Amino acid sequence: MRYVDEYRDAELGRALAAEILGVAEPGRHYKLMEVCGGHTHTIYRYGVTDLLPDNVELVHGPGCPVCVIPMGRVDDGIAIARQDNVIFTCFGDMMRVPGGNGTLLEAKAEGADVRMVYSPLDALRLAKRHPDREVVFFAIGFETTAPSTALTLKRARADGVRNFFCLSNHVTIVPPLRALLESPDLRLDGFIGPGHVSTVVGARPFEFIPADYGKPVVVSGFEPLDLLQSVSMLLHQLAGGRCQVENQYRRVVPYDGNPQALRVLAEVFELRPHFEWRGLGFISHSGLKLSAAYSDFDAELRYAVPGVRVADPKACQCGEVLKGVIKPWECKVFGTACTPERPIGTCMVSSEGACAAYYNYGRFARDLEAV
Amino acid sequence: MTAAYSCHGDHCITCSDEGLPMRVVAIDEPGLARCAAGDGAETLVMTDLVEPVAVGDLVLVHAGVALTVLPGEAVA
Repeated sequence: MRYVDEYRDAELGRALAAEILGVAEPGRHYKLMEVCGGHTHTIYRYGVTDLLPDNVELVHGPGCPVCVIPMGRVDDGIAIARQDNVIFTCFGDMMRVPGGNGTLLEAKAEGADVRMVYSPLDALRLAKRHPDREVVFFAIGFETTAPSTALTLKRARADGVRNFFCLSNHVTIVPPLRALLESPDLRLDGFIGPGHVSTVVGARPFEFIPADYGKPVVVSGFEPLDLLQSVSMLLHQLAGGRCQVENQYRRVVPYDGNPQALRVLAEVFELRPHFEWRGLGFISHSGLKLSAAYSDFDAELRYAVPGVRVADPKACQCGEVLKGVIKPWECKVFGTACTPERPIGTCMVSSEGACAAYYNYGRFARDLEAV
Repeated sequence: MTAAYSCHGDHCITCSDEGLPMRVVAIDEPGLARCAAGDGAETLVMTDLVEPVAVGDLVLVHAGVALTVLPGEAVA
């Protein structure tokens, strides 16, 4: 299919790998963070790291929306799902994320009506089919996903639907990046910027990274050649003493984003004063709740939720993984107590989670590096 | 209608940064189009953010919303 096949061409990949080898200075170690989980997935699936020189290291960032959901929010969702007359809907992977008292999947096994949907629109259609029930959508995701929730809520209001509610866990990309950059244990040379978030917000919001922190950013696509080219562009910036935001993904990302999407977001959502991120703690102005105009659809106002902060399990090091401080395999429970089948931490749940991606595609590397 | 996404395929649909190129095959009502993925699976997609779209356009879809129209190669 167009826009897919030509970005997986092996010969072009080898040429880019040779270019990267040529521009990387021997003796210098490069640490580049790919912000989003989609990139992590591509890197492991296609073995992108195998094409990079040893001194170019890719570090996984916090851009998996499942992985950053704190346990307390899962408990809030379960509390709503257990209410009589509620059909609780969420994306598939969210069902397996452990809260303080089990998962949504376990709540379903115990009788709660929890259903997987592929989009918020599916949840709205469910509400229309069951006017006698209350349908709640557990909304997660960055600015890429938030427009889908926002458009669905607009549609619900236009259609006069009164039995549809949203538990918003939407988050924004810039505040956690700033929090990461302020972290004292972080040492990075540059960022591979999130491609599809940028479809909505544009590349411009990342200009603070070179301006305030002196690190280059290249907004990247998701095919293997996109990532190789983005690494090459970052190394060229570093070699040339440049530091700016570049857009490798111009076929999709306008530098100023999608104005219609930004307008819809501004209408339906407003920033929370702060929101908790798994492993990163509370970050100011990083979460979205429904605006006053849409409060009739707000599940947090409709239902009593525990709202309790739950500490992560002691053995779990998702926080360090999300900050790129440790590699997934360096976590004490990786691949032993914590597996995709029985995850302890969120990074092992979603296929975009760094731990799950590593476990599924690159587990052999643990043995090699341990030797 | 078969869902075009899978939580165990190329990407998890929860990933905020996953986008799937899909072809518009029919426009059901303003702002709603049926779109087909590369394997032919169809799903209902909100197109409010990329209007106007036409049958044959290639759009990038995330969580049931077309985020952008991919340039060129529109096939009616």
